[in-house]
Amino acid sequence: MRFATRAFLWSFLPFTGLLAGSFWAVRTAALSAVKDALRSAVRDNQVTLAKERERSQLKNIRVLRVVVENPALKAGLQLLATERRTPDAARRTVEDQLSEICDTMGFDFLAVSSPSGNPLAGVIRQKAGFLPVKFDSLRLPERGFFSMQDQIFRVISVAIAQGQENTGTLAVGERFDLAEVAMPAVLLRGEVVIAASAPSVDNSKVEAALRKCGPQAECEVQMAGETYLSLPLDSSQAHNEEFTLRSLRSLDAAAAPVQAALRAVFLSAGLTAFLGAFAIAAFSSKSIVKPLASVVARLRESGKTGVLPEFPSGQRGVREVRELTDSFNHAAASIQEGRDQLVRAYVEFVSSLASALDARDPYTAGHSLRVSEYSCAIARAMAIPADELEIIRVGALLHDIGKIGISDAILQKPGKLTAEEEALIQQHPVIGRKILECVQGFDAYLQVVELHHENWGGGGYPRGLNGDETPRSARIVKVADAYDAMTSDRPYRRGMQHEEAVRILEKCAGTQLDPAAVQAFVRLGNIARPQASGEDPILHSLHHLSAAVRSAAVQETRV
Amino acid sequence: MNTSLVSALAALGSLTALHGADIRGTVTVERKLTPRNVTPAAGLYQRGTPVNLRADSDQNPLDYERSHVVVYLEGLQRSAPVLPVTMEQQNRRFSPDLVTIPAGSAVSFPNFDPIFHNVFSLSKPKSFDLGNYPKGQTRMVTFDKPGVVFVYCHLHPNMTGTVVVTPNEWAARVDPSGQFVLAGVPSGKYSVVAWHKSAGTFRKTIEVTAGQNSEMNFFVPLPELSDGEATTHTGH
Repeated sequence: MRFATRAFLWSFLPFTGLLAGSFWAVRTAALSAVKDALRSAVRDNQVTLAKERERSQLKNIRVLRVVVENPALKAGLQLLATERRTPDAARRTVEDQLSEICDTMGFDFLAVSSPSGNPLAGVIRQKAGFLPVKFDSLRLPERGFFSMQDQIFRVISVAIAQGQENTGTLAVGERFDLAEVAMPAVLLRGEVVIAASAPSVDNSKVEAALRKCGPQAECEVQMAGETYLSLPLDSSQAHNEEFTLRSLRSLDAAAAPVQAALRAVFLSAGLTAFLGAFAIAAFSSKSIVKPLASVVARLRESGKTGVLPEFPSGQRGVREVRELTDSFNHAAASIQEGRDQLVRAYVEFVSSLASALDARDPYTAGHSLRVSEYSCAIARAMAIPADELEIIRVGALLHDIGKIGISDAILQKPGKLTAEEEALIQQHPVIGRKILECVQGFDAYLQVVELHHENWGGGGYPRGLNGDETPRSARIVKVADAYDAMTSDRPYRRGMQHEEAVRILEKCAGTQLDPAAVQAFVRLGNIARPQASGEDPILHSLHHLSAAVRSAAVQETRV
Repeated sequence: MNTSLVSALAALGSLTALHGADIRGTVTVERKLTPRNVTPAAGLYQRGTPVNLRADSDQNPLDYERSHVVVYLEGLQRSAPVLPVTMEQQNRRFSPDLVTIPAGSAVSFPNFDPIFHNVFSLSKPKSFDLGNYPKGQTRMVTFDKPGVVFVYCHLHPNMTGTVVVTPNEWAARVDPSGQFVLAGVPSGKYSVVAWHKSAGTFRKTIEVTAGQNSEMNFFVPLPELSDGEATTHTGH
């Protein structure tokens, strides 16, 4: 797993989890608060309505108190009580009185009862007018509901008094319509729903749900997946008939708009927070990783190139990363130094080898060193970058290393070489390359060693490259090599003068030699010609060494 | 007035002692019989309004009940002398609120209030309506048939009075202590009836022998739940 991914996940996931958790908690709390508020609102509403109804009943009772102060009614009631055996006339009298009151007051039902509660006479409003009521065994509640002729009436009663004597009760009823109740409600007879204005739930379900409620208790019931609040509004019990009027209001339906609004708010806020969390996590993980990432990137690059990077040291940046890069720089510097030393040792070793090679023949003594110097001079004149110049310097020093593999007989043969010998001589760049290939860190010099006999115009060896196909370093070394070969003494001739050699160089420019390199060399003038090679103490000792080696070899061959 | 009536009857009884015997007795009432109207509508209580209940009258409630029991004799049809009986209208009440008269007698209803009254009755033995009349005037009503006649005032719904029309002159309103005397009852077999508006009628048969006073006690209980209607109780 990448560090950035890890940092992102560790910041994003807990963040998102916390957000989701807190949103969920807030939403739950808000919903329950809304439900509580609704519940109490519904309850207050019902209490208010109940008080209002109480007040209106009180008013009705006051009116009824006036209504019952009717001497004819009282006299009729007494008559009815007295003449129990032949009551028809008396009852008619009373019924007549009741009809009149009903008509005047607009009641639907009016009845008088004896003090002990037996109904004596009553009238009911019908389309045709007021009809007498046959009570049979019916008893009326003092207040509340009763059913008669398949209709539900709601009654209130007042006592009929004469002086201090209670002579009976007047019950006033109106047909009950559930629509008059200002809220969803159900009317139950016993446990059976006989009217419901409430929800779109089956009556049987309502009955089953309300059975669990106490008769006069507020309760919450679950029906069809919704929560309903039910409060007793009114009840009455008479003649084995118990009526209960209960409100039945769905809290969920009431809470639905609020719930929807909450859901919308939380959804948008949640989405925003999620995106915010994502962005913040992405940014912060990137920011955390950034200093390390640049280090890692450079290291990865160095893995490809093999060049150890150096990190800028300073007081800026993350301290740990800084310490890391500093220690890396330190380590890299040590490695570089070691590697440089190693390379230098190799170079020195190899150049010693080359010098030793040169020293095999007094005529070519110092050749490699001179070629290297000439090449550097040309390169400087051509304004070649320092690192390439270094390659040229070392490459030129090593350019004839392959001649180790060529026998002295051929190398030092005076006169013309046979074609066979020529072919052997021409192997030396490839041999040189093969020798140096085995040495780590010498890759850069291989081209100079291998290709310093390629011609600008083609036809060189070993590959026969053309013009630019030969690297510039090799082309420069070729010019320097040619010059030194021409100006050096040979057993069979004297070395040319500088001017002559330059003329020949210029003649060969464009065919064998790179014109630019030749031009640069020519511009240098004669300053390139170093002192006599024999003056160099190293070369001098190498000459001795070489001579000793050669004589030993000669003696060995003789033996 | 009650006591004077009782003493008058007692005097009458002593006059007729030669012809018969006295029936004395005690009416026992243990509980209030009249449904008392003290309860306003429930709404008033629920609303929390203070309700002033009427103070109990000074009179012992059982005295009231006993004094509203009438005892009379059935089984003797005899034209009785007309007695001067008056039921006044005073302070918006009938006073006395209960009178007993033998059939054929008349009751005078004088108005002593400075306002109009209109006495009427719907009762079967005698229904009448005396119309409005002011203070100082009176109207007479003759009650020919025995029975209980409730009288009201059309103008004042709270006024109510009772006229008990008995078949003969042997009738008595029980005194507050529960005592009654039917004096000088001729020999014979009769029913003695005790009547109370709420409790109904209670009958007992008696055989009266000349010169032998007898005692007859009544227990007047609460009306059975069948109603305030005149229940008939019989017994010895």
